[in-house]
Amino acid sequence: MQGILLLMTLFPLAFLAAAMLSGSRRGPAIAALSNAVSIAILAYAALSSGGTLSISESFSYITTIPISFSLRLNPASFMLLIMSYIVLLAASVAGNHEKESQKLAASLIILLQVAATGLFLSGNLFLYFIFWDIGVITSFFFLYSMGSPLRRPAAMKFLIYEMFASVLLLLGIITLYFGTPVHSFNIAYITANAALIGTTSQLLVFAFLITAFLINMGIFPLHFWLPDAYTEASTQGSMVLSAVLSKFGAFGVFILFAMLPIGAEAAKYTAALGAISAFYAAFLMFNHKDIKRMISYSSILEMGIILIGLSTLNVIGTYGAVYAMLAHGLTIALMFLAAGSLTHVFGTRDIRTLAGAVSRAKSTAYSFVFAAFSATGLPLTTGFIADLLIFIGAYAAFGFSGIVPLLSIVMLGAYMYFIIEKSILSTRKESEVITHASASQAFGYALLIGSILLFGILPFTLLGFVKI
Amino acid sequence: MDYAIAGYVMIALMALFPAGAIASLFVKRKKAWFSASALILAAIAAVSLTLFALHASLTLLQVFRFYPFSELVVALFASMLLAVDVLAYEYSSDFITFSAFFGFSIAGMLLVAMSNSLITIFIGLELMGVPTIFMILTHGRTHTEAAIKLFVLSALAIAVLAFAIALIMPYDPSLSITGLSTSSLVGGSSVILLSMVLFAVAFSTEAAVFPFNMWVPDVYEGAPGHITAMLAGINKKVAFVAMIEVFFAMFLYSGYNFQPIFALLAIATMFFGNLVALVQQNVKRMMAYSSISQTGYILVGIAASTEFGLTASIFYIVAHSIMIIGAFSVIVWLAGKNLRTVNEYSGLWSKNPIAAFALTIFMLSMIGVPPLIGFIGKFLLFSSAVSANLLYLAFLGIINSVISVYYYGRVMLSMYSDRRPTRRIRMAGAVAAVVIILLVATIAIGIFPGPLMHASALAANSVMLGS
Repeated sequence: MQGILLLMTLFPLAFLAAAMLSGSRRGPAIAALSNAVSIAILAYAALSSGGTLSISESFSYITTIPISFSLRLNPASFMLLIMSYIVLLAASVAGNHEKESQKLAASLIILLQVAATGLFLSGNLFLYFIFWDIGVITSFFFLYSMGSPLRRPAAMKFLIYEMFASVLLLLGIITLYFGTPVHSFNIAYITANAALIGTTSQLLVFAFLITAFLINMGIFPLHFWLPDAYTEASTQGSMVLSAVLSKFGAFGVFILFAMLPIGAEAAKYTAALGAISAFYAAFLMFNHKDIKRMISYSSILEMGIILIGLSTLNVIGTYGAVYAMLAHGLTIALMFLAAGSLTHVFGTRDIRTLAGAVSRAKSTAYSFVFAAFSATGLPLTTGFIADLLIFIGAYAAFGFSGIVPLLSIVMLGAYMYFIIEKSILSTRKESEVITHASASQAFGYALLIGSILLFGILPFTLLGFVKI
Repeated sequence: MDYAIAGYVMIALMALFPAGAIASLFVKRKKAWFSASALILAAIAAVSLTLFALHASLTLLQVFRFYPFSELVVALFASMLLAVDVLAYEYSSDFITFSAFFGFSIAGMLLVAMSNSLITIFIGLELMGVPTIFMILTHGRTHTEAAIKLFVLSALAIAVLAFAIALIMPYDPSLSITGLSTSSLVGGSSVILLSMVLFAVAFSTEAAVFPFNMWVPDVYEGAPGHITAMLAGINKKVAFVAMIEVFFAMFLYSGYNFQPIFALLAIATMFFGNLVALVQQNVKRMMAYSSISQTGYILVGIAASTEFGLTASIFYIVAHSIMIIGAFSVIVWLAGKNLRTVNEYSGLWSKNPIAAFALTIFMLSMIGVPPLIGFIGKFLLFSSAVSANLLYLAFLGIINSVISVYYYGRVMLSMYSDRRPTRRIRMAGAVAAVVIILLVATIAIGIFPGPLMHASALAANSVMLGS
């Protein structure tokens, strides 16, 4: 059906209007419904594509400079979209424990849904940039308006880093446009004709774009905004920032390596950077007693692993990385959701005072434990499939040194299980008070845990579309 | 079809302003003057747009020239003047006196836009500048300093401009732009080069290009708000129009390369405006510096000195007029409520959400965030720089965009902080209408930039054709 991708990108605007016009208490329901509809449309599009999962559409947009509104669905964007919708759905239903600014939060979630849809579907770099910036500004307001009292400096830092990334992205796109033989923003066209672009301009473009993407992903040494932003944001904010926004850059790296041949020469450096970033985060994590900060560093670690996967440049590693993006999104969202709930119940983010959490908030504590399983790549979770594919790919590409970064995941696991044992699951500080998770929270946990298991046990539901 | 009639109608409508200005000294009816001037401005915009749509091109009385570029900017000026007129009607302490001077100013602006002769440009700039000084003066003694500064600087600019024109004179005494472009400016004469530099200096002073911008912050801050909006939104753009007419229609056609001059000016202006804006507390003053930096972005397109660059500059001239007048409409209104500094803006969101939202959008647009008009403008500008092999200029431009995030961000953050419920403050209906119309334009043109891009390209093309 022609126009289905356009519909998918633009229909949430109707929900946005509804969320802005209706009362505060309806906000979460409207945002959830909007994402549920997106999932339905995405499923329909997948079924109607005839088993290939690739659809492309193009509409005329600007004619003075040839820019068309071209959208394309492919297996990678499908995986990221489904992850984004699930996370946004869970965040809008379960993420707002404090019930503060529900209307604003719902509007921002829907805007982020538009941004994610447009970005993952964009068939040309101009649209990619537009949706990128919509996502960044939306996240900024998310971070700025809700969260801890220290959120404002964090928001400003976030904005400056991300705007720097976005202008580098813009400059890279413009340079690339004038580098192509027939000036074009179309990703498919550029990919097909990239060999004709001069080495110098390829190098320039690559430098601009990779810097922008690495800032967004939060790779060392461009990650300094990340721990503050993730930590000080509200639960919903941390969920959407870490799960959805960080994938903008990762997806960009995915496109970039596929697009420019010079990526082949740069890949070993980006892989090394990914490894350094992963170990750096693993070491720093040991220092932190703040549960959200710890999760932030685990996110930097995972993004490093994803970068390694993308840098392998072989199909297994690359799609392993895309699968890892899906896994990371679902896992980190669950982790932040549970951590946010613990923080809400106990009134602190300090791991030491969360001791005995299991006796007081059982389902939340076990959800956190489950998220830790997935983060460390336990079989039957998505994390396992992702790590497996990435390191097979890395071994193929870089030999034995390719699997060294696996150690960082071991370190992550060591620390995670250590704090789970010492703090969350420890029973030495039994609590009299028992807090039951509300129905909406239970739904959030169930949705995320269910998705992690589904895509962990049945990876071929998604990976079947990729010829590995 | 004979467009000459429409052309004469435009000239007649323009002439109505000085005539009306003199008459206004005898008929003291505020409403009547407002509605008359608003109607005439709307008529000028309508006629001009019609001519633009018909791609009309003609020269009248030797000194007036109607071609897509002039038609586009006349339409822009007329509609922006309408917005300023509304602001003045609301905020001016003595609207009748204001409109007397305003009438002369309007005639000057339109004259520059329609001119085909260096002499009309000269007269137009003078006619625009001098009444502005008196407009500021009539608002009381507190504004004297601003007025004097503006006076000295515009006197200087005019003197330099006169000298530049005098240097050109021997080559073609008619001083007609189209004539000069085709006839005689051949060869690398150092006299022409000097004249070119002097033109650049004169227009730079009017357009507030570093290092000729020292008057801007004091005047912008000292002048009453609606006049500041006019200075930033229109007067400055008139100088750019004159600059484009002289440099693109005249010098470029004769094969003179002015790229280095404007590249240098662009870099200095962007950095100066943005860096100084970082430390400002007074929002009006901050916007003055921000508008200096925005001037630098417009210069990026001029520095590219290609048709694409000119297209980008024209687009951004339109975009910046819309954004800055919109932003100043809000800022003037707040200044009237005694809210002037960044800290005093705190909690604006709860006091008047629409104003806070509008100011946020205007500022995001000035940063260059899609899908807003400012983004498309910057996108075109930096693209034109890259396509003219000025990658470094584009790079410095984007660095500046990032710097600007900080100070715009501060204002935006301040507006949304402090969510305690407070007493609402209301905006006058007419001002709110101006703000909302400009807001809608900022968003709508950002999402559907096609028509304006096409119009700018057409206008640029008509300038580059020479005649």
